[in-house]
Amino acid sequence: MGEPADYDAGERFKRITEQEYSRLCEFLYRRTGMVFTETKRYYVERRVRDRMKATEATSFASYFARLRIDASGEVEQFVNAFTINETYFYREQHQLRCLTADLLRERIADSPRDRVADLPRDGIATPRHDSPIRIWSLPCSTGEEPYSIALWLLENWPPVDAYDIEIVGSDIDTTVLQAAEAGVFGKRSLMHLPPAVVARYFAAIGDEEWRIIDDLRQSVRFAPVNLIDAASTAAFGRFDVIFCRNLLIYFDDASRRVAAENLFESLRPKGFLCLGHSESMSRISPLFEVRRFADAIVYQRPLPG
Amino acid sequence: MALIRNNQAGRSSPKATGAGSASPGREGRREGPTEAPTEGPTEGQADLGAVLRGGDADARRNAARALGADPNGTKTLAEALEREPDPRVREAIFTSLIRLGGRESVDAIIPYLRTDDANLRMGALDALRAMIDAARPVLPELLTDPDADIRLLTCDLLRELPSPDATALLCGVLAREQEANVCAAAVDVLADIGDAGAVPYLDQCAARFGDATFLSFAVKTARERIIAGGGAGHG
Repeated sequence: MGEPADYDAGERFKRITEQEYSRLCEFLYRRTGMVFTETKRYYVERRVRDRMKATEATSFASYFARLRIDASGEVEQFVNAFTINETYFYREQHQLRCLTADLLRERIADSPRDRVADLPRDGIATPRHDSPIRIWSLPCSTGEEPYSIALWLLENWPPVDAYDIEIVGSDIDTTVLQAAEAGVFGKRSLMHLPPAVVARYFAAIGDEEWRIIDDLRQSVRFAPVNLIDAASTAAFGRFDVIFCRNLLIYFDDASRRVAAENLFESLRPKGFLCLGHSESMSRISPLFEVRRFADAIVYQRPLPG
Repeated sequence: MALIRNNQAGRSSPKATGAGSASPGREGRREGPTEAPTEGPTEGQADLGAVLRGGDADARRNAARALGADPNGTKTLAEALEREPDPRVREAIFTSLIRLGGRESVDAIIPYLRTDDANLRMGALDALRAMIDAARPVLPELLTDPDADIRLLTCDLLRELPSPDATALLCGVLAREQEANVCAAAVDVLADIGDAGAVPYLDQCAARFGDATFLSFAVKTARERIIAGGGAGHG
C-alpha cells in the first residue's frame, strides 16, 4: 500500500487543502505583499513543509496559527525561506529586456545626452555635458544584479558604447559588497547565462567557480547604503533607473514608506523604478506613476507639478 | 579598461568600495542644481513651515521630509496637511508624522478619518496602520465613535494587532454594534485573524441581524475559517 495521495512519500506531510492554501496566500499577501497563485502551489508547499519541520509543527493548522501570531518571529523566517539564495545572473530577465527595449530609450529621449562614442576612451577629452546614464542596483547582495545589468547592456544594447553609463551596486551589508567586488561566482549563479556569455566575461578559477573579468568588474562600482536613511541615499545623487527588487517586502509599513520616499528622491524626474515581480505596490503607487511596458510593469517618477 | 564607458575618474558614490573608490565625490560632477537630491531645505523649522505654505510641490515635499526628522515638527506638519492639495506632498507629510510617531501624531491624523476626500481618508487610515502601536490607546474610543464610518474603518485597523487583542476588541463590536455594515467589517477581519473565542459572538451577531442575509453569509464564512484555522480562544 502506498501513502494516501495527500501525503508525500517518506514524509508525514499532509498536503494543504485548497482552502488552506488560499488562506495562506491571503495572509502572505497581507503581511508581505507577495502574491502567490495556484501555479506556485508546489513552491509554496515546499517552504511550508520546511518551516513546519523547523518549528516541529504537527499540522498545517498549528503552523498557520504560529504564523498568524508571529510566534518567535515566524513570519520573517517564513518570508526568508522564499527569498534567500535566490540571486543569480539574469534573474527576472524580463526587466532587463524592458530596460533596453523601453526604459533607456525613453530616458535618452527625455533627457538627451552627448554621445561619447567618438571621443577617445583615455579620459583626455570629456563630453560637453557630464550626464551619464545612471543605474542603481540595490540591494545588490554579492553583485549578480549589477553585473547582470552590465552584461545585458553589452550583449543586448547596441548603443552601449555611445553613452557614458554609470552602474552602482549597493547593499547595507558591507560583507556582501566585498564579495561583489571580488566577482567570484559558483555554477548556480551562472545557470541562466548563455555559455558564450560566460566564456566572454568570466575566467574559470576552479571546477565550479568563475571570476568575472577585470574589464567588466571595472564597469560596476559598489558602495554601502541604508535605504531608510535619507542622508545615506541622498549622497548617491539621482539615477535614471533604479532596480530595487525584493527588498521592500522585508520592511514594515513605516519603513516601507520612508524607503519609497527615498527611492523617489533618488530618481531623476521621469526616471524609472523596477521592483520585484511579486512586490507590493503599497506605498509606491501614491508617489509614482505606473508604466506598463511589453516586458514589465515599472514605476516612474513624474515631472514636478 | 572598463567595458562600459563610465568616466569613473570624475565621480564616485560615497564610500565606494569598488573600482574608482578614491574619488573627489559628487563635487566632481557637473549636475545642475535641480539634479541635487535633498532631504529637505536647510532652513529652520519656521522656514520649513513657510515653505510648506508657499513653496512649489517639490519644495513642500522636501520640507515635509525634513520635518520628519524634527522632534517638534508634528504641529507644522499637521497644519500643512489641512491645506495640502498635492497627493505626493500629503504622502510625505503622513510619512513624516509616522516617523515622528507618538500620540501627538496620532491625534493630528485622526481628524482626517472624517474627511469627505476619499484619498485623504485612506491616507490617514494607512498612516494609522503604519503606527498602530502609537494608535492603540485610541482604538477602543474610535470603535465607539458616534460616526459609523469611523467605527467601520477602525475595525480594519485592528488587522494590525496581534490576533488575541484584535479578537477581543472585535467581539466587543459584535456584542454592541447596531450597524450591520460595521458588524460586517468586524466579521471580515475576524475571518482573517480571529480565534475560536469569536465564535459565540459571531453566532449572536448572526442571530441579532437575522434579516441581513449578507451578514449571516459573512458570519458563516468567518466561522468556518476560524474553526479550520484551529486558533485558540482569546480568553
